[in-house]
Amino acid sequence: MTNLIVRNIIRFLFLVFFQVLILNNINLGGYTNPYLYVYFILLLPFATPRWILLLLAFLIGFSVDLFTNTPGLNAAATVLMAFCRPYVIRAISRESEEELGVNPSLRTLGFRWFFFYSLFLVLIHHFALFYLEAFRFSEFVRTFLRVVTSTAFTLVLIFLSELLFYARGKEKR
Amino acid sequence: MRNLFLFFRKHYFIFLFLFLEVVSLIFLFRYNDYQNAVIYGWTSEISGVVNSAFRNVSEYFSLKRTNFVLNEENVTLHARMPEAFYITDTAIEFRDDSLMQAEYRFISARVISNTTNRRNNYLMINKGSLHGVKPQMGVITGNKIVGQVVNVSRHFSWILSVLHKESRISARFLKNNQLVSVEWPGNYYRTGIVKEIPKHLMVLPGDTIVTSGNSEIFPNGIRIGVIDQLMEQRDENFNTASLTFLTDFNALGYVEVVVDMFRDEKERLKASFKEL
Repeated sequence: MTNLIVRNIIRFLFLVFFQVLILNNINLGGYTNPYLYVYFILLLPFATPRWILLLLAFLIGFSVDLFTNTPGLNAAATVLMAFCRPYVIRAISRESEEELGVNPSLRTLGFRWFFFYSLFLVLIHHFALFYLEAFRFSEFVRTFLRVVTSTAFTLVLIFLSELLFYARGKEKR
Repeated sequence: MRNLFLFFRKHYFIFLFLFLEVVSLIFLFRYNDYQNAVIYGWTSEISGVVNSAFRNVSEYFSLKRTNFVLNEENVTLHARMPEAFYITDTAIEFRDDSLMQAEYRFISARVISNTTNRRNNYLMINKGSLHGVKPQMGVITGNKIVGQVVNVSRHFSWILSVLHKESRISARFLKNNQLVSVEWPGNYYRTGIVKEIPKHLMVLPGDTIVTSGNSEIFPNGIRIGVIDQLMEQRDENFNTASLTFLTDFNALGYVEVVVDMFRDEKERLKASFKEL
């Protein structure tokens, strides 16, 4: 239990700093910027109490906001995403929640499951984020393009980290 | 009462969600009201310390470029020194000191955090209220525009970049002083848009746009960009044009905060005018 908490705290800090110090400086064609920090919400154990899920989402979103001078923007998007997480999990899995295992991971649940899981949640997050940021209907198409390209970029990063850091996950369990 | 309590308990997930969402949105949309809020004082301090620590390291990677930019700036400044002028007249102009009073003072600062990839971009610099930085002051680099101070803590300040939804700069054509306004449409960080160009005006690619000096934020004549292409608006009273910013917002190292020495006086004058 303590191990789990410590590991999540380290992951939280690492992802926030990685986001604000490295990823925020990435600029592909002026449109695309990845938001890998949502990976933290994706990786929380299935058994996480829902109120902790929401509070953690608010916390990580707000931490990222502090570094970009946009208080509430990332927080709002991340909280929405965390709210949708239990429903997305229920919608895409045929197994009951006990059969899914402890943590959402590519290794244990397979490519298909993990792909749709992250795709839906990242899409929700990016939709909320970019439309709240632009907040103009005159920029609808442009914002949509940002959502799509950034979602693709974020997903690639999520899968890369999943392959890099959790490849040995199965043997351990 | 008990049923109400049970109802909240049963649906606490939704209520907590709504609560957090409302809190976030209040922060987001009422941000300007909270500009000087206590919370932002200390959170800026924290993010400032982290950003400047990181910048201390990453700065080394752009030393060569920074050096080049500073060198260029030195050259232009040297050209303005009295020594650089050859006096052709025997009657040397005499300037009484009281005739010349500095209107602007500049605070040099280092950029410690910067984005160009969002719709609304901000920069953080390592000077704050301790060094005399105040909200609404302009920020330039060399002779080129950067943004405007929006938020100040003791050691750091947030700058609203020109690359922001809300940025609207009062500008003019260098060649004929016609007033226009410059905005950023949100695509690429190098291209902006010039609005309110009078229809009769001859606009050519390469025309320079500079600040008008009509606001207290920027001095007159700070370089903004050069015109790319005129876009005629048939059913409107003004034309628009695309422009390329002269500032490379993605490679900002050192900037200067503009302190208008007469700002209080100008503001007082404006306020007294409103009362009439």
